[in-house]
Amino acid sequence: MSDQAPSRAHAALDGELDVSQRLAFEEELRRSPELAAEYERLRALRRTIREHAPREAAPERLRARIEALAGAPPRRAAPRWPALAAGLAAAAALAGYWAGRSGGDPELAALVAGYQRAALSGQPIDVASSDRHTVKPWLAARAPLGALVLDLAEDGFPLVGGRIDIVDARPVPTLVYRRREHLISVTELPLAGAGGGAATLEGYHVVRWRDRERAYVAISDLDASELQAFVADFDKRTPR
Amino acid sequence: MTSETARLRFREVVLPHLDDGYRLAKWLSGAEADAEDIVQDAAMRALAALEGATPLKPRAWWLAVVRNAALTYMARRRPKALRYVADLDEDVAEDAPDPEAALIARDEGERVRRAIASLPSPLRETLVLREIEEFDYRAIAEATEAPIGTVMSRLARARAALAKLLGKAP
Repeated sequence: MSDQAPSRAHAALDGELDVSQRLAFEEELRRSPELAAEYERLRALRRTIREHAPREAAPERLRARIEALAGAPPRRAAPRWPALAAGLAAAAALAGYWAGRSGGDPELAALVAGYQRAALSGQPIDVASSDRHTVKPWLAARAPLGALVLDLAEDGFPLVGGRIDIVDARPVPTLVYRRREHLISVTELPLAGAGGGAATLEGYHVVRWRDRERAYVAISDLDASELQAFVADFDKRTPR
Repeated sequence: MTSETARLRFREVVLPHLDDGYRLAKWLSGAEADAEDIVQDAAMRALAALEGATPLKPRAWWLAVVRNAALTYMARRRPKALRYVADLDEDVAEDAPDPEAALIARDEGERVRRAIASLPSPLRETLVLREIEEFDYRAIAEATEAPIGTVMSRLARARAALAKLLGKAP
């Protein structure tokens, strides 16, 4: 029973095909109506399951017990968009701070260098796909901190793909979105001490923010207000 | 005595994914009260394990701890609810809630929930880790200690069973 070979439609749906397998599969989809129908059924089933599996929070009393176990300080709510906006409003001071110490933050310097190299080489991405279910497992297989991949196409920021950047000798997942001819990189990092803010480094706009689970750095050659709109949309769509 | 290092790691590794752990425990046990006990057990195990090292993939690691705690819990408290003997039995869920219940449920959400609950444990946990927790095949294989081929076949069978129960089969 266990060795029954499931069809490639499952592997395709699950983003487990590599680029050449994926291309072959798409070709086959065009040729075979049966395969296309099966694939569509699988996608419909996934939609049904995900629609009806709401993200549910642990009951407060359980959370309190577990936090006590961890000796955690009283919990503060995750920073939501208003808090972030306030952070951005205070950006001028931060921008001066960062610009004045150009390269003072090695993490940001590494990410901006990654963005620059990617933009200049004409190879901004290692995996090209507008399907987050393809990009996510690709990144997860290569960086210890799996990436949260959000679909922002409706907000006018289609996903282009992803790449791996190296920060402090560790691979980190970077998503690449597009607005017109501009690219926006979003790198996800483990939560560390750093807070949020906006800055300009090497001529690129940089916005840093965080939620309960991770820290984010967005870098783009978009103008600052459009980048902030992107960050607001990203934050809005981040599951809580 | 738990060290401050372990507590610190626990706060970084487990607390951000507490909701996910609770949700997984609920899917695996099918009951809210059980899910709370399972997460509590899992948290104790995690705290002890974090004395030694910090995991590379915190969320996947923590959910695997929850999954193992759920198996132990179910085996102890509700032995009949657990069929985890051999692959031979995988397609027979004598002990799981009646699949027919899924057919007569009032709304679509309830139908889906009951249909998933009626799957035999190995199929159910594989499906939940993939569709709800969005693990890739390798992460599911690691969490359930099964070969990737088995993961793929369980996933295919879980989806076929679900499609049939929900009337979406060809």
